[in-house]
Amino acid sequence: MGTSVLTLKIKRYHPGKEPLRWTETFKVETTQGMNLLEGLLRIQEEQDPTLCFRYSCRGAVCGSCGMEVNGTPLLACRTPVERLLKEPIRISPLPFFPVIRDLVVDMSPFFENYQKIEPYLHEKPAIPDREHIMTEDVRKAIDPYIQCILCGICFGVCPAFRREASFLGPAILAKAFRFLLDPRDRRGKDILQSVDHHRGVWGCNTVFRCVKACPKEVPPTHAIVRMRGKILKGHCARLFSRFSFLLRILS
Amino acid sequence: MNQPQMEILSHDILVIGGGLAGLRAAIEARKAGKDVAILSKVHPLRSHSVAAQGGVNAAFNNVPAPVQDSCENHAFDTIKGSDYLADQDAVEIMCREGLDRVVEMERWGTLFSRTEDGKIAQRPFGGAGFPRTCYAADRTGHNLLHVLYEQVTGLRIPVYEEWHALSLVVGEGRCIGILAFPLFEGKIVPIRAEATILATGGYGRIYLRSTNAIINAGRGCYLAYQAGVPLEDMEFVQFHPTSLYGTNILITEGARGEGGYLVNVKGERYMERYAPHLMELGPRDIVARATQREIDEGRGFQGQYVHLDLRHLGKEKIMDRLPGIRQIAIDFAGIDPVLDPIPIQPAQHYSMGGIPTGVDGETPLPGLYAAGECACVSVHGANRLGGNSLLETLVFGKRAGKKAASIVRGRKEALPPSAFHKQAEAIRAGLRELSSRSGEESGFRLRDELKTLMTHRVGIFRRKSDLLSAKEKIRELKERFGRTAIKQNRLAFNHEWLLHLELEGMLHVAEVITEGALTREESRGSHFRTDYPERDDERWLLHTLAYKTPEGTRLEYKNVTITNSPPKARIY
Repeated sequence: MGTSVLTLKIKRYHPGKEPLRWTETFKVETTQGMNLLEGLLRIQEEQDPTLCFRYSCRGAVCGSCGMEVNGTPLLACRTPVERLLKEPIRISPLPFFPVIRDLVVDMSPFFENYQKIEPYLHEKPAIPDREHIMTEDVRKAIDPYIQCILCGICFGVCPAFRREASFLGPAILAKAFRFLLDPRDRRGKDILQSVDHHRGVWGCNTVFRCVKACPKEVPPTHAIVRMRGKILKGHCARLFSRFSFLLRILS
Repeated sequence: MNQPQMEILSHDILVIGGGLAGLRAAIEARKAGKDVAILSKVHPLRSHSVAAQGGVNAAFNNVPAPVQDSCENHAFDTIKGSDYLADQDAVEIMCREGLDRVVEMERWGTLFSRTEDGKIAQRPFGGAGFPRTCYAADRTGHNLLHVLYEQVTGLRIPVYEEWHALSLVVGEGRCIGILAFPLFEGKIVPIRAEATILATGGYGRIYLRSTNAIINAGRGCYLAYQAGVPLEDMEFVQFHPTSLYGTNILITEGARGEGGYLVNVKGERYMERYAPHLMELGPRDIVARATQREIDEGRGFQGQYVHLDLRHLGKEKIMDRLPGIRQIAIDFAGIDPVLDPIPIQPAQHYSMGGIPTGVDGETPLPGLYAAGECACVSVHGANRLGGNSLLETLVFGKRAGKKAASIVRGRKEALPPSAFHKQAEAIRAGLRELSSRSGEESGFRLRDELKTLMTHRVGIFRRKSDLLSAKEKIRELKERFGRTAIKQNRLAFNHEWLLHLELEGMLHVAEVITEGALTREESRGSHFRTDYPERDDERWLLHTLAYKTPEGTRLEYKNVTITNSPPKARIY
């Protein structure tokens, strides 16, 4: 296979510069098996050292290089350029987040929401110095939600933020569900209560865009729908018990 | 020009690096009630620890085996694996305390895979006599790092994210903090700390073929080296036998632990000829050399790679135990390991050497501690066993955090700012000078030349002539480095400048590795000299210490601590 040329139209943003925003076209010679991150690194090295973007693992596990490519948010390192050679590729920063510079966005809205759900195991009392006993079935139920690399791509595709800017967001609700499923966590209903509002599970449009976009196949919408179910079941049970209490008093 | 009064930050303890060792150290220091902060050039979750796959060793005996496993067995396997260069007292601590550290990670929420009776699952790994490696499918690093970051979040430990450490500041013979550079803000910020803990990982990216993240350029080791701290055993560079051909992304040893075969172009399971008992589960140095030899002697595919065949494991086992590997092979090689063998080749993977520390992370420079891959305790000696690096980060991260906390006297505000100011001015002047040069050399080109050189001349098989030419070439690269320039002279977002500083460190680390390899006329663990193919305990049962001098590297040697396992022949 010979080399061919990749054309990237990259959205630039440099505060303090005039103009502030512009779109710049770069051409890069490709090599076999090249991915988009390698293409960007080559531009930074050979053409424009001021081009800013994040990277680390180059193996789709660290979650650094989320960006929008032809309107679709994805990880640059996991995107082979072969299928992008036909026409110029539009590259812009991950949507939703404020842009700091070029393709670097401010992830703090994401991690602020992350902190809101107290995303750490609130451990049930257990025998000292011993692991908890857990079956493989329980582990497998939690496992899909553990795969999340907190890259923020799901925030970039989620339409719910348009209606409710303070929506917790898909990855964060998936994280909450992960602790709800975990028999080692003592919070149980408290977790459900903490997401039982329009900024939580009721804010979701259930259009599954996050599920489709997730590079690690995490299904946040499934988590949200199941939490809704549990919440409703809880409400019904409470209503029923109140009703039967009333009946008992009356009789 | 008068500089405006610089802001100055102070902490009892500053941890540099947000991977497993750094986070574990910070948690321990926080739990001891100290004011600790973490500084990391990437968000902690983007640290290379996240890419660790196979598992973490601890002798729990959770899987039925004909004989009982024990800490002593684990220590023995580690020492033998190290080709007897590990300090045995440190290995014993790691193997003993590892049990508690792994249980602790489970209690903090790590989703380990489970045995039938619900305990932490364990799989066989290279060079180990027992199924001792605790795992969370094949994403153990991801699971551990996310759990530690969750703990850091819960403890509200401040993190200086995307801040870079420019230099260590030394005053009156102590490390009193660092100069930091928040990339997005464009200023140099002194951070005073009574104790500084380096947990900056490895230097894999000085090699062309490496499993390491792009960010792993050995900067932390260089910070210490620059400050007068020696580097220990740097010639011992681990090459992992199975990196994905093309991108060199890691394919875990767990794939062989689960029963995968290594196969050459003739269809032979070639490990039969190199480690007839352990076969594919020989220690990494032996399997990497065997694999490279097969390729070099024409028994590879296209002269480049061999096959890691998992097909006989069946879809269910692959999906259950090795889902990450399958995803990597599909994403980065277009191959589904359920249907086709994975093309693999050896690549640089890990640094056994690093900043010399005692068992509590203390370095020769008072006030400075180190833990994790950047440190050399030494528990890995000349060759690390798979599953021992995650263990090291947890055990010695905690110990370093605890020790650092114990020396804090609440005097951070009393550390004199003058040394910081002087050093910051020198760094600013350096940047001005650098951006005013004409720059006939390109840093990126030098970096690529260095990487190619290291893989081809200071790689798996080494010999005097290659090492001499590498030494010469590194000298030339250093000289040409003096003629590189950068285009931007401002601080903010000056990624180009950071890469320049990084390259400076890479050149020095490469020089240390090459000098160590050239001088050590024996073969031990990962360091294999074709002109000295035997281990030589008479002359070389010694740790190397490399000091920075104006003329280059000066080498000294120190004894290895041996407790219960006198050196023996290493047969697998």
